Amino acid sequence: MNEQDLPPPPQVAGVSLDGEHMFVISADENAALCRSTGAAPADDGAAHPIYYYIATQVAMGKTVAGLCATCEFDVEDGPMMGSSGVKFAAPLKVGQPYKVSGEILSLVRKRSRKLGVMDVLTYRLRLHEAASGAAMLETENVWVLPRKDLA
Amino acid sequence: MTFKIGDALPTFVIESVSPEAMKDWAVFLADPNPIHLDVEVVRAKGLGDKVINQGPANVAYIMNMLMAAFPGAQIEAMESRFLDNVYAGDRLIASGAVTAIEGRRVSCDISLTANGERPVISGIATVFTV
Repeated sequence: MNEQDLPPPPQVAGVSLDGEHMFVISADENAALCRSTGAAPADDGAAHPIYYYIATQVAMGKTVAGLCATCEFDVEDGPMMGSSGVKFAAPLKVGQPYKVSGEILSLVRKRSRKLGVMDVLTYRLRLHEAASGAAMLETENVWVLPRKDLA
Repeated sequence: MTFKIGDALPTFVIESVSPEAMKDWAVFLADPNPIHLDVEVVRAKGLGDKVINQGPANVAYIMNMLMAAFPGAQIEAMESRFLDNVYAGDRLIASGAVTAIEGRRVSCDISLTANGERPVISGIATVFTV
């Protein structure tokens, strides 16, 4: 089957990923996370910058399994990270309540020599200071969803 | 430490990726994907015979390298491309090189390599130095 002969992927561009719950980086968890990566936690209240990914994933409007399900993909089939980008407007702080907004940008069906048929999911999330609404960062992630059923 | 274009940044080394830390990251990420927790699942999926580290943890090692190279600096932007899996027990080296300097803003190529030979992340980053 050629790429153009594949059935189209689900039309999910524009699906909201706005979160409903606050996310707070606890000082204890931040310290544990820093230690797990071989680093000491900052002593000025700054959280490890990898919380850009953690906070947005945990507090977006869908779970990982739910995001996959939106793309008609079973999380048990193993989504893979393709890339992750972030632009920070300000450093993240422990003890600060944050909220997430975001949306799916695209889901593109492709054929790869290594994986067979796959869907490439791109989504964008923003982390906002809950009190002011100011965006602290914007991240854009790409996941690869192998479509074994279409291989 | 002052850098100029072309300089390599000091590396950040993880001597052995810990499967116990993967359990912690499953909690941090609220994502109990068993490929990070259960080697039998990894084997069943044909992905190897060791549990696989979470991708964001691998990004965190590179961030540690940047924060150590530029004390007090803020990471302004970072792009990571995931090239391969990191497995329990892998020895990782996070490295970087300066590609541009504009005032206090330094741009770098970044990478993470497993066991001295296998690239697992490549990308770019910009830090705002103090």
